[in-house]
Amino acid sequence: MFSPSFLQGLIVLALVWTGLGALALVVLIVRDWIKGTLW
Amino acid sequence: MAAQAAMSPATGWAIVIVLGLLWVGLGVFWGRKAKTSEGFMLAGRNVGLSLGSATAMATWVTSNTTMLAPVFALTLGVWGMLAYSTASFGLILFALFVPRIRQLLPAGVTAGDFFRLRYGSFGWALFLLITMLYSLSWLVSMAIAGGDLLLALTGISYLQGMTLILVVCVLYTLFGGLFAVIGTDFLQSLIILVGIVFIGGLVVTQLDFAEAYEHIATYQPSLLKIAMPAALLAVFNNMLFGFGEVFHNNVWWSRAFAMRKDVAPRAFFLSGLLWFPIPIAAGFIALAAGPLGINIVAENQTGPTVAAAVMGNAGLGAMAGILILIVLFCSMASSIDSLLAATSDLLLKDVHGGLLGRQIREESFRKLAAGVIVGVGILAWLLAAPHWPIINALFISGPLVGSLIWPVIAGLFWKRVNRSLVLAGIILGSGLGVTAYFTLGWFTATLVGAGVSMLFTIASRLIAPKAFS
Repeated sequence: MFSPSFLQGLIVLALVWTGLGALALVVLIVRDWIKGTLW
Repeated sequence: MAAQAAMSPATGWAIVIVLGLLWVGLGVFWGRKAKTSEGFMLAGRNVGLSLGSATAMATWVTSNTTMLAPVFALTLGVWGMLAYSTASFGLILFALFVPRIRQLLPAGVTAGDFFRLRYGSFGWALFLLITMLYSLSWLVSMAIAGGDLLLALTGISYLQGMTLILVVCVLYTLFGGLFAVIGTDFLQSLIILVGIVFIGGLVVTQLDFAEAYEHIATYQPSLLKIAMPAALLAVFNNMLFGFGEVFHNNVWWSRAFAMRKDVAPRAFFLSGLLWFPIPIAAGFIALAAGPLGINIVAENQTGPTVAAAVMGNAGLGAMAGILILIVLFCSMASSIDSLLAATSDLLLKDVHGGLLGRQIREESFRKLAAGVIVGVGILAWLLAAPHWPIINALFISGPLVGSLIWPVIAGLFWKRVNRSLVLAGIILGSGLGVTAYFTLGWFTATLVGAGVSMLFTIASRLIAPKAFS
């Protein structure tokens, strides 16, 4: 069976990764907007 | 959640109308940038990394992702969540295709341009048939999900809710074209990501992992199994389904043409990375249902049921339904708008312009495009209204789109093929895959379709190949 620590690690990793994804998009759009490369 | 509405119909109407006005307003505003047909269909071919990544990711996050991922977790356990996540590999691999797509079709507009170029009229017609079946069933299943969602959360009747969601998406797509679609996708993607993290975070704070693990190991041990043949098959089946969907569909090809050349590969790669954790982050809450004592009455409502329960426990009460509605509405809208735009582009360029041979004058393009988008919307409404289980048509399309994987790869990267063999492989792969769906199970269908097509495509390189013209 998958171990408890694997399961917990997977879930926490997924949540943190998703959150970082939102942050990355914000950083990227600010960068694109400053450089005038949005679209 | 499944037994009674989380909010009143009036609140539900208010939220969807406010969000709808926001998207339509932005659609009108951004639509002013579309001065030409190319601007309308491809957002000027100049989309940057942030908007490019977000639109690819948001389009791929559908209500299926947020609603089915918990069901996968509930039925197939840890492997179920991971199986769903493999759909992100399609976006990541497509990043490798984009430079070649832009090289092969520097003035390309739709995926149909590629199929006509490499596989002639018959191949193009076959592609149109498969992609229309797939795209329409995806679009209609989103509309149906929207109606079901509003009924479950607000008590608004299915027909009214489904109509409202479709009308909003049709309006901002027809006013703004791909500019509106991509712009709203960015906002919707942020809402989706933040919403998933918020709800998932609440579940984690209310869960004692050790106790939860013990509970699942005692009452649902199969969910934690490593050797689970059906789940392992589902992993590869889903992955190939994802490959087939992304590699062939005009939703992705239009984005490949819309993004700046240097940006497109990175944007698709990043979108895949952003998408990968979402089925796990959205799906694991189903595993928390048992340990938290949440009763799941309807399997397909697992996600909203658990989300509402944990937000209720956290004292958020009425906000629970509102947040769930907003996140799910965004996940639906971000896909519906893309499908409306991409499908109408295919109908305009490939069917109206290509198959029927009618020239589209620049000055009449917007009117014609608006008519086609509205027409596709009406067709989706007519198919969604009877509430047939169209989602099954979407799943059945798995082997059909899976059978296009290798023909796309061959058309992009090989110099010589036996075209007839490739096309025969698509037809046979589709047929045998659909047969496998009904006889062996859904988790084998795309494997069979892609596998058969692969054999024929590889054979086409060895048996009487001819150079692509």
